[in-house]
Order: sequence, then C-alpha cells, then structure tokens
Amino acid sequence: MLRKYAFVFFILPAGFLLGVFAFGAVAHSVFLSTLDWNLISPEITRVGWKNYGEVFRSEEFRLSLWNTLLYSLLFVGAIFVAPYGSAFLVTRVARRWQGVYKSLLFFPSILSLAVLSVIFLWLYNPLVGPLDRVFTSLGLRRLFWLTDRRLVVVALTIVTALKLFGYNFIVSLAGFLSVPAQIEEAALLDRASGWDLFFWIYCPLTSANAVFVLATAVVVGAQYLFVPIHMLTGGGPNYASSNLIFLIYQYGFQFFQSGKAAAVAVLTLLFFSGFIVVQAFLVERRVYYES
Amino acid sequence: MEYRRKTQLLFALAMLVNIVLGGWSLLFSQEPVTIEFWHVHAETFGGPAINELVERFNAQNPDIRVVEKFNPNMYLGLTQNLQAAIAAKNPPAITQLGNNWVEYGATNFPHVPIEEFLKNDSEGQAIVAKIPEGVLNIGRREGKLVAMIWSLSNPVLYYNVDMFKEAGLDPQNPPKTWKELREVARQIKEKTGNYGLYLQEPGDFWGQQALIESNGAELLKKDGGKWVTGLDSEEAIEAFELYADMALKDQTALHAPWDQGMNAFVGGKVGMAITTIARRNYVESNANFTVQAAPFPLFEGKPRRVPGGGNVLMITAQKKKEQEAAWRFIKYLLSPEAMTIWTKGTGYVPIRLDVAEDPNYLKPFLDANPMMRVALKQLNDVVPWVNFPGKNATQIEQILLDVRSAILTGQKAPREALKEAAAKINALLP
Amino acid sequence: MRAKLFFIHAILLSLLIFSLLPLTWMVGVSFKTAKEIFTGSVNPLPHRPTVENYALVMERSPLILYFLNTLKAASLVTGILFVVSIFAAYGFSFFRFMGRDFLFYLFLLSLFVPFHVRMIPNYLLVSELDWVNTPWGIAIPQAANALGVFLLRQGMKTIPRSLVEAALVDRAGHFEILFRVILPLLKPALAALCITFFVNAWNEYYWPLLVVSDKAKYTLPLFLRMYVSEEGGTAWGAMMAASTLVSLPLMVLYLFTQRFIIETYLKSGIKG
Repeated sequence: MLRKYAFVFFILPAGFLLGVFAFGAVAHSVFLSTLDWNLISPEITRVGWKNYGEVFRSEEFRLSLWNTLLYSLLFVGAIFVAPYGSAFLVTRVARRWQGVYKSLLFFPSILSLAVLSVIFLWLYNPLVGPLDRVFTSLGLRRLFWLTDRRLVVVALTIVTALKLFGYNFIVSLAGFLSVPAQIEEAALLDRASGWDLFFWIYCPLTSANAVFVLATAVVVGAQYLFVPIHMLTGGGPNYASSNLIFLIYQYGFQFFQSGKAAAVAVLTLLFFSGFIVVQAFLVERRVYYES
Repeated sequence: MEYRRKTQLLFALAMLVNIVLGGWSLLFSQEPVTIEFWHVHAETFGGPAINELVERFNAQNPDIRVVEKFNPNMYLGLTQNLQAAIAAKNPPAITQLGNNWVEYGATNFPHVPIEEFLKNDSEGQAIVAKIPEGVLNIGRREGKLVAMIWSLSNPVLYYNVDMFKEAGLDPQNPPKTWKELREVARQIKEKTGNYGLYLQEPGDFWGQQALIESNGAELLKKDGGKWVTGLDSEEAIEAFELYADMALKDQTALHAPWDQGMNAFVGGKVGMAITTIARRNYVESNANFTVQAAPFPLFEGKPRRVPGGGNVLMITAQKKKEQEAAWRFIKYLLSPEAMTIWTKGTGYVPIRLDVAEDPNYLKPFLDANPMMRVALKQLNDVVPWVNFPGKNATQIEQILLDVRSAILTGQKAPREALKEAAAKINALLP
Repeated sequence: MRAKLFFIHAILLSLLIFSLLPLTWMVGVSFKTAKEIFTGSVNPLPHRPTVENYALVMERSPLILYFLNTLKAASLVTGILFVVSIFAAYGFSFFRFMGRDFLFYLFLLSLFVPFHVRMIPNYLLVSELDWVNTPWGIAIPQAANALGVFLLRQGMKTIPRSLVEAALVDRAGHFEILFRVILPLLKPALAALCITFFVNAWNEYYWPLLVVSDKAKYTLPLFLRMYVSEEGGTAWGAMMAASTLVSLPLMVLYLFTQRFIIETYLKSGIKG
C-alpha cells in the first residue's frame, strides 16, 4: 500500500521549508522568551515566564492589541468589502469599460509597499501635500494624517489597502465572472433588481472566494502594515498606530529585548490562532456545503 | 573525445600556471587585507564621499582593501544588522555609531578601544591632538577613548528670508531668544498665514534636548550613585510649555515627522526650522526662496547648550591584522585631505579646526557657505548628546519620543506628561 | 438606468483616480527638478520635464546587474513556491490521512509567524550554510510560505472529488491526475498566484537587506534605499526616479500579461 502514503511525498517539500524556516524560528522564539538577553551580550539571564507577565501588563501591548483589532476591522472594509463591491460594480458596466477598470485598478498592487509608504509621506503632508490642497480648497478642515491619534490608523490602513486592494479585486472579480450567465438571465426574467442579484445570487455563489479574500485580508494585512508603521510613524503618536507585529519589532530590534519580543510573538501567534479556529470550525464548514 | 582531451590539457596547464604564479605571489607580494566598513550614508548624503575616500585610501594602500557597506535607517538600522552579524560571528572591521550610541556600542559590541592603538603611535597621537578635547570626549567612556569621533553636527535655525520680508520682519535680525522667536512666529502667522516654526522631530530627542538643556535642564545626571533624568525639572517643563503653547495655543509651531516638517519648510509654508546643519544642502537645493541660518535661540540669561550630533568610528574587527588595517583607515579619515572631502560631501562641521581654517583645504568652502560658519561658531556650546546608560537605553529613547507626541498633540499637559515620563525613565535607569 | 450607470461610473472612476494617485505622483516627480517639486503646484506632471534625476541614479549604480540579481532571486522564489505549493495543496485536498486537518491548520499558522520572528534564526542558519550574499540565501527562506498552499487548496476544493475518483479508477497516477485534470482547471488561480509570488519577491526589502552585504549582489529594493537619507533629507526627485526604475519591470510585465491573466479568468468563468 505504497500509494496510501503518497501524500507524504506531496506535502513534504513545503512542510520541510516551513518546518525549518518558520517553525524552527518559532521554537527558537519560545526558547528566547524565557530569557533576558539582547542576542549578543555575554549576560544571559533565565527569567522563566516573567517576560510574558511584563508584556501582558504593559500599556504598549494593550494598545497594540487594540489597534490590531481596529486595523482588522478597517481592513474588512478596505480590502474585503470595497474590492468585492467594486468588482460587482465592474460587472455592471459595458464590456469595453470593464477592461479599463480591471487593468487599472490592479495597478497599484505591483508597487512595493515601501515605495507606497514613502510616496504617502508626501501625500499626507499637512501643509504641502496634494491631499491637503484638495481638502482645504474644498473648505474642509486641515488634516494631520500622521500625528492625529485617531486619524493615523485610517491613514496607515489606506496605504496598506492600496497595496492589497488590486489583488483582492481581481480574485473577487474572478468569482463574479465564474457565475454562469444563465443564472443571471433567469433572475432578470423574474424581474430581480441589481441588489437582489448581488445579495441573493452573487453573494452565496461567490462565498468560497469571499472567505479566503477575507481571511487573507486580515492576516496578510496585519503583517503588511508593518512597513508603513515602520516608515511613517514608528508606531506613534504615543502608540496610536502600533500593532502587534510592530511591537515585536520594537521590543526585538529597537529595544533589543529579545526575550520580550519573543513573548509578544508567542502571544500574537496564540491570538491569531483564534482566527484560524474560527476559520476552521465556522466559516470553512459553511462555505464547503454551499459550494 | 579529441575535444575532451584538449580541455583536460588546457586545464592542467592552467593549474600549473596558477601554482607557479600563486607561489610567486606568496613569496613576493601579499594578498591585501580586506576589511569591511559599515556606515549609514545614503547616495544622497555622504555616500559618494565615502566611495571617494575608500577609493583613494585603497589606491594609496595596496596592502589593504576597504569594502564599504551602506546600512539604511540610520544608526538603529545599522545596529540591527550589526547584532545579527555579531551573533553569526561575522562582524565588520569598522563600524560607524551615532554619537548617542557610543555607550551601547561600548558595552555590547566586541571592540578594540582606540586608546590601545594610540599608545605607541606618535603619528596617531599628533592627529588626535588637533581635535578639541570636548569633541574627542564624545568617543570616551569612563576616561577611556573607545571610539573615534569622525563627524559632528549641531542644530541651527534656518529661516525663510522672503517670508520674513513679507511679514515685515528684518531678515538681518533673526530671533536670538525663544521669547523673540515666539513673537516672530506669531507675526509670521498673522501677516502671511503660514506656520512660524518647525523644530525637528526625527526618531530621536536631539532637538528637544537642545531646547530643554538651553533652559538649564539636564536630561541625564547623576544623583548620588544613581542616574536620573532631569526631564521633570522646572527648567524642562518651562521650555516644553513654551514649545507646546506655540504648537497648540498660538498654532505657530508645526508638529509633524521630520521629513514632512522639512518639506513644509522648503515648500515655503513654515517660516523657520530648527534642524541639523547637515540639512544645509537639502534646504539650499530644494527651496525656492533665500535661506539663511542663525544660531540656536537662547533662553534669556542662560548659556546655549546644543548636543553634538554626528558619529564616531569603532573598531570591531576580530583579527589582529584587520584591526591594524582598520586603524590605518581611521587615521586616513582624519587626515586633512579626507576631512575636506568628508565635510564637503556631507555638510558636517569639521572636527579639526586647523583644516577648517587652512586655505588649501576647507577655508574656501566655509567662506562660500556662511551657514556652515554658524554651526562652526556653535562648537563651543556643544554638549554631549545624551547616551542613556544600561540595557534599557533605547527603550528610554522611545519614552522621550512618546512624551513629545503626547505633549504636542495636546493629549497631556507638559507638566503631567514630563513627570510621568521621568518616573518611567528613572525606573529604567541603572 | 442611465443615472444608475452614471453613478456606478462615478464611484469606480473616483476609486481609480485615488488608487492611481501615488503612481502618477511618483512618475511625475521623477521628471521634476528639485526646485519645481517644492513650488507648491498640485499638478503631478512636470512643467518642464528633466531627466537629471534618472541620470543621477543611473550614473552611480549598475542597474542592469541589480535587475538581473532581482530577477534571479524572484524567479527562484516563485519557482520553488509554485512547485511546493501545488504539491502540498494536492496532498491536502485529495488524500485522507490522520491529522490532515491539523497539519493543514499548522501550515496556515505559519502565515501568522511575523517576519521579525523568523529573521534572526534564519539569518544564523543561512550564514551557517554559507549562503550569505547568494541568490539561495535570498530565496530559500522566502520560499517557506504557506499562502500558496492555502489558496490552491481553496481552489482544489471546488473541483468535484468524483472527477479524481474516476481518474483513479482508470488507474491514472497521481501526477497524471494533477497535471491532466487538476491544474488545467486551476489555470487562472495559478497565474494569479505566480504574479503575487513574483511581485512580492521582487519587492522584498527587509530580508535581502540583512542577507546581502556585497554591493554587487544588491537587489533593486536595496538600491532604492540608497536614495533615502533621514539625516541629510530625502532627495525626492532621485528617490522617485529610483522608485520608478524599480517598479518599471513589474509594470511592463503586468501590461503585457494582464490580458492573459484576465482572459484566463474569463475562460474559467465560462467553464465553471
């Protein structure tokens, strides 16, 4: 029964890479999280679970955790609902326009997030940035995108969303286009409106796509956010834009407290595993039956 | 087959030549020692000057080959890469460290103190004697010269001459004190609608240290046997209250990240900017108006105390031969020729005053750049850029940035914010 | 109906303008002189275009070399990821074995392992293997990524099992099933995945920064960072010229392949 174990052959290459370069690192982190060490100093102290306690009680962690949730919520809008909705809208316009929208809306996705961040440093300039020019000429209030505690989260979400929007847009569009034309025709004969089509036909039929767009949006989004946080705000003002991923960086590579960084990393992994459990037990099952 | 035999023959011949030549070179010449030099200078700020220095040195010293490596994200970015390299037992021979990183480097990076090389090197001693003692001290820890000062900067007040005129101010008479500056900023706002001041806000507290220390506060001091911060002293609170009033009450001081603030200044939307002399070239080449520089403003009756920015060089080589090569390269970097290339290429203040006033070297350049003279004159007012001791140094730096944000956004009043921050910092100091 | 269509176009157009703003700005500024950038004009297009910024960044850097280095690394990452992701996704979709779902979610969990957790251990390993400054050192750690496995498994789940079972009854081998039955059905997903992998690997900055110290081995994103200076101030014209040059190969690639990608999407749509 060699064939029965053939799966090993298929899964092993990816498994090996992940095992060495991802989980090996996690194991390393778990070990580090029990130390008070900066990776190079000859002084290494074993501290047991102390790092976890300190991290857990710190205000930085609380704020970063809260922001991570807040960003996730914003991402649901910016890189899930928006691309999904606009993909649907694109299917509503004439063929020749579809092509234009399709190719151009994907375009920003190919820019590097580092480049996008630098560009936005300029676009968000409160005094000389083009956004300010437009806002103030419309008679609106001057916005301090990067130094306003409430606005900064939105500002960084926009930068990251621009990178992720295009890809999700194309994936959603593919979902819509895979719905057979006959179904829509039949519905139209029944005098269904555009909204009816969207909610009763397209949403259920594209839900498999939708779920993975959503899942990747939240996961990938949290990590992509690191780049604009790092390049534009450094987590500030006063932790208003920090997230868990940035906090790991900050402990590990700014404060050089590898133990605490590793503790945050482990806690972050636990936190995110919650998402996976949701994915595993609620969303996947449901979608599976429907598709 | 024929082809194969031919290649084999050729190969054997090549091996023979190789062995002969190799033996020859072993006997009569030496492989150059290759040393890595890590720095933070981008192509747009000092990078080309470093290339030139390395090329010249390599040409003059055939037995050494210096390889330079650029590290983005300033001294923090460099330190991050260096930590990894040290952990992998593969550090560079020479490392550039920010003047606020000397303490961290001295306690964490395996290095050979400069002092060791100076002991029996009269040439080296002669060069070092040319550098003012206070400047040299930046690389000194507990009396020992651990790293060599190379670059120096200090904050100056740049101002928009055209905007001064538009606001009815005399551009030849820029504000000398913070009180005057506040009035000038108000007038600029009233007459032109623009912001009056931007005080630099990078990922460090350098500019704010100048502000509070010029009012008599001490960011770090020893109280008995313990280090404490003077961030919550009355002087520091008073200085920050003035700064916060300008930002929040008068709305004449701009609160923004460094690049944004400077873009706004060269974009003609802010009348004055206090930032490093190293930005002179940036300001001159981007602004569409006349810019002049004035000394860092004073608090009435108190001395000016500006922290010395810039960087030092530390020898992190592991092998004896590399260490010696590294020291020779550092001596070259302090030579009049190298100092001239470096000052012109970066806009740092030259650390050797003899080179600065030498008509063969820097005098013509400094005469042509009056803004440089402003920074040069401030050399006497330079105090050390605070190096927080202990392993929590960088965390303390972050607390300073956080308190700065909290005050300038109006989240907290200066007194309350500074008291809180000082308590946190004192708990982290050894 | 007309008004509705107009409304739809209005939404899509404003979205389009906003999403193209950074790109336009980048290219526009790269052709402006330093002085013009700060005139305060909102017009992203240069008044009097100049190539001085391009001259500056190209004069001092061997761009072709950096381009080839980046191409090598990005192709390597994409190639490895492509193969291992397809295999693993197939393994997870069409076999039943103990602990399959657990193992799959473990794979998924790796997506949450932040880069900075992986950075130091991976660096130590890579330097132990003497892969510093090599394309392998840049590529292999990046090829440890489960995103492809996840997305392809989602795609494979939509393929009826009966199709595979029928093939198995016909005594077809796994490779035959994979290449003849499964992959043709997943063409658009595969194309999209390849693009994503390639674009990400092309733009990867933090990892090569650590693992490449030799200037001759630089990738384009590293070259880009040579034009950002905090202390001296960013030279916007040069920086944007460098950014444009770094993004240009991808933009060209996309312009040529977008028809293909979208067509494959459409084709699969009709089949589905």
